[in-house]
Amino acid sequence: MKHAMRKRGTSVVRVALLFCAVAAVIPRPASAQDLAQFEKRLTKFTLDNGLTFLVLERHDAPVVSFHTYADVGAVDEVRGITGLAHLFEHMAFKGTKTIGTKDYEAETVAMAKMDEIFLELKAERRKGEGADEARLEQLQSELQEAQEEAQKYLVHDEYEEVFSREGSAGFNAYTSQDATQYIVSLPSNKVELWMVMESDRFANPVLREFYKEREVVMEERRLSVESQPVGRLLEEFMAVAYKAHPYGDGIVGHMSDIATLTRAEAEAFFEQYYSPSNLTIAVVGDVDPDQVKALATRYFGRIPSRPKPDPVETVEPPQLGERRVVVDDPAQPFVLIGYHKPDIHHPDDAVFDAITDIVGMGRTSRLYKSLVKEKRIAVAASGFQGMPGTKYPNLFLFYAVPARGRTNEECEEAIDVEIERLKSEVVTPEELAKAKTRARASLIRQLDSNSGLAAQLTFYEVVTGDWRNLFKQLDKIEKVTAEDIQRVANEYFTTKNRSVGIIRTKIGPLGSSEQREPGHNLKGASQ
Amino acid sequence: MTRHKPWIIRIVLFAALGLGLMWVGCAEQAVRDYQGLKYPKLRDIELPEVEQVTLANGMRLFLLEDHELPLVNMSVRIRTGSIHEPAEKIGLASITGMVMRTGGTTSKTGDELDEELESIAASVETGIGLNSGSASMSVLKRDVDTGLAILADVLMNPAFREDKIQLAKMQHRSSIARRNDFVGAIAGREFDKLIYGPESVYARHTEYATIDNISRDDLVAFHKKFFGPNNMMLAVWGDFDTKEMVEKIEQAFEGWPKVDLQLPETPKVQYEFRKTVNVIHKDDVNQSNIYLGHIGGLRSDPDYFALIVMNRILGGAFTSRLFRNVRSREGLAYSVFGIYSANYDYPGEFYVGCQTKSESTVKAIRAMLREVEKMKESEVTDEELALAKDSFLNSFVFNFDTTGEIVNRLMVYEYFGYPADFLLKIKQNVEKVTKEDVLRVARKHLDPDRVQILAVGRPDDFDEPLSVLGPLNEIDITIPPPPGQ
Repeated sequence: MKHAMRKRGTSVVRVALLFCAVAAVIPRPASAQDLAQFEKRLTKFTLDNGLTFLVLERHDAPVVSFHTYADVGAVDEVRGITGLAHLFEHMAFKGTKTIGTKDYEAETVAMAKMDEIFLELKAERRKGEGADEARLEQLQSELQEAQEEAQKYLVHDEYEEVFSREGSAGFNAYTSQDATQYIVSLPSNKVELWMVMESDRFANPVLREFYKEREVVMEERRLSVESQPVGRLLEEFMAVAYKAHPYGDGIVGHMSDIATLTRAEAEAFFEQYYSPSNLTIAVVGDVDPDQVKALATRYFGRIPSRPKPDPVETVEPPQLGERRVVVDDPAQPFVLIGYHKPDIHHPDDAVFDAITDIVGMGRTSRLYKSLVKEKRIAVAASGFQGMPGTKYPNLFLFYAVPARGRTNEECEEAIDVEIERLKSEVVTPEELAKAKTRARASLIRQLDSNSGLAAQLTFYEVVTGDWRNLFKQLDKIEKVTAEDIQRVANEYFTTKNRSVGIIRTKIGPLGSSEQREPGHNLKGASQ
Repeated sequence: MTRHKPWIIRIVLFAALGLGLMWVGCAEQAVRDYQGLKYPKLRDIELPEVEQVTLANGMRLFLLEDHELPLVNMSVRIRTGSIHEPAEKIGLASITGMVMRTGGTTSKTGDELDEELESIAASVETGIGLNSGSASMSVLKRDVDTGLAILADVLMNPAFREDKIQLAKMQHRSSIARRNDFVGAIAGREFDKLIYGPESVYARHTEYATIDNISRDDLVAFHKKFFGPNNMMLAVWGDFDTKEMVEKIEQAFEGWPKVDLQLPETPKVQYEFRKTVNVIHKDDVNQSNIYLGHIGGLRSDPDYFALIVMNRILGGAFTSRLFRNVRSREGLAYSVFGIYSANYDYPGEFYVGCQTKSESTVKAIRAMLREVEKMKESEVTDEELALAKDSFLNSFVFNFDTTGEIVNRLMVYEYFGYPADFLLKIKQNVEKVTKEDVLRVARKHLDPDRVQILAVGRPDDFDEPLSVLGPLNEIDITIPPPPGQ
């Protein structure tokens, strides 16, 4: 995420929900009637360079939301450049050849100088113990000087300022394993402004302030992974669940990779993955589709076409046995259980949606009922598909947040009981009906927001090949039977196919915690 | 039934404002493509009429039809809050709010309500916060009678079943046990205690002992004292007919006795400006969570409008000085923020903060303090003023893009005794704010010499000892064990 402001009062439950929200795309259906209505209001066109637009008219308020879906994410990185997709997302706010600079020619020279010094610095650092300290210091100060020189030509944050001045709302971007998404909403008389700005961003990006922004991203890593118990657990857990496929590496990247990424690598990444054919844009709101098309052709049409990049070809081999990871942490317990399952294109995808509803959604879901309401061993317990993405085979993830004084083992056992129930008996007709009803209602509720619709339309268009699947999902979930659920549970929820990750509470050295009591009973607090 | 005059205002929204100001003195720059753009005038926004009704039993209703989707939503405000719970029973309001719904009603258990609602993809929720109680309902149009009946039943006839009280207490105790796991939560919580005082109703929090002290009788009494039709507001928006809906609501809450409206007053805040430097050890992080600041203000203060502009320039926007200088220019933080916050009915906080690697803790504190000082030293630039005002005014339309926010805002204004057109007043006053105003309110309300500073992290790794900033106070966040253990 590019921008984060103040967050307070984070409870463990919210953190747990947070990473579900990141992972579960919550794809939810509707009806043929809704689809027919939408088809009348939706215009789709593809420019000669391959860039696709979806324009949906909603004239209630004079506002419009834009959603650029770049079909590139952390999954497209190879080892050694982890974190690059996300870092590029940050760089996409730094301006273009004309925006963000006083003198692009002079700035280019200054930035090239910095790149050169950084490469020398990297080479010297690689010598490790044998590195020349004086030389390192010298290069550091040269880098600093070159940076100051380059900064002379900066017009700070001009790109963001223009949007802000013109009344933008929700200006931001997100990087996930599967995609990088750039979003903004504007008063609807500013469509052309967005066209100018967004097309320039992908036609003429300049990765200025690269080395400073890397430091910002390092702080983001410290914030979201290294200083959060669940962040630490999740990173270890994913690394254990995947040994070959890049889904196993975190989105923000490894610290040593972030620290050594170069501007040239980021530019090459852009060249390869930000071809117009790899971008899909939704425009939802108070707009005229003909005008949007004319402007899109004029502004985005100028971006030369490039080949569409290849998808990831690595296939995660089947597990040979259960995998477990324990994070010793001065935090309260937490348990994750993940099972490998197929991608969104697989016919069983809708079955996993139904399972997500039955085991994981709301107070009547099986896990909440058992672990929270009945056994009272957890404060939260759920399960969902799509961790950490949906484009490639992913995990069905169960998790539980043990109640005070209760253990991971108790929770794991209780989750196992529910998984075994899915395998040994069919779900009730009421449970299945509820899943279908909620799928329908959930879609209707999503149709209320321009920005939400723009996100859904691009997701379905890119990942499933047709935006109509936003509605057609409903037909698929309607066809799911209780027997399908039992079959799928037996096929995928096997011990051999699973990974388990836990936080094992380790009392810190500060003595400011309650002490661990004899036996398994953890009495609570830790710092 | 009394009918109030519908609230209608027509707002002409801004087209482009102040373009060109930015570029004075930058004549050598390339011409930007966006600079030549001519924007069509934004069409006027015709605000929908919110129907306001007061029922015979005193309940206030706000209704707004929206027929785009087959949904009906309700939200409720009850005048109550944790500010009214006794110090030895902190958590009482929260548990009451939770168990009203989970503990079911005199005719249905909470589990039965769960089944009934979830089978129709509906929700009814209740809660009690610091200075108000709330309830919400969301249903598909066809289920509106079911949803409304449950909402009314939960508000009027909660049974407070013992098993769900125990569940709520378990959840509270678990939150206490986990409250030091998340560094950001520690920083926010402890900063609040520095500003309002650890015993203040605006900062205090639950302990095992206060949860143990709460009984079912307390819940019943708390509910009885505050929950009645004459102490409640209800907003409804979505696909319904207003006249029919008023009748439905009237029937649903029929026979509910009124409550005594002689409620305790909202506690006052006494703040003494002082400089303090505070540290909390947290060993499993490599980043410091920093807050610094002092007491803030009220939205009813005439300076509020100039403070909105000042906030945007200092730290409330991505183009702010803090964001630009601490994040973009120095690379010191991913998240940096600063705002003089104003509440409706008790003073907010002025706070500036960020998360930065342990090794740049003191550097970041100095950099942030410097930005606060600069606000008092000289006027902001014309460009900064124009940007702050333009961005506020040009994005004003987003206050009206959903019916839910329009009707809920009106209810909030009424709840806190603000004029119905307060938002319009904000707009009109922000338009008038000058550089002199921004400097004046910064000088009046910001006091960087007497801020309370808090850093949570690993002091051993700090670039300099925090004591260089002043006498150091160490805050112990050890969780007091449950009584008798």
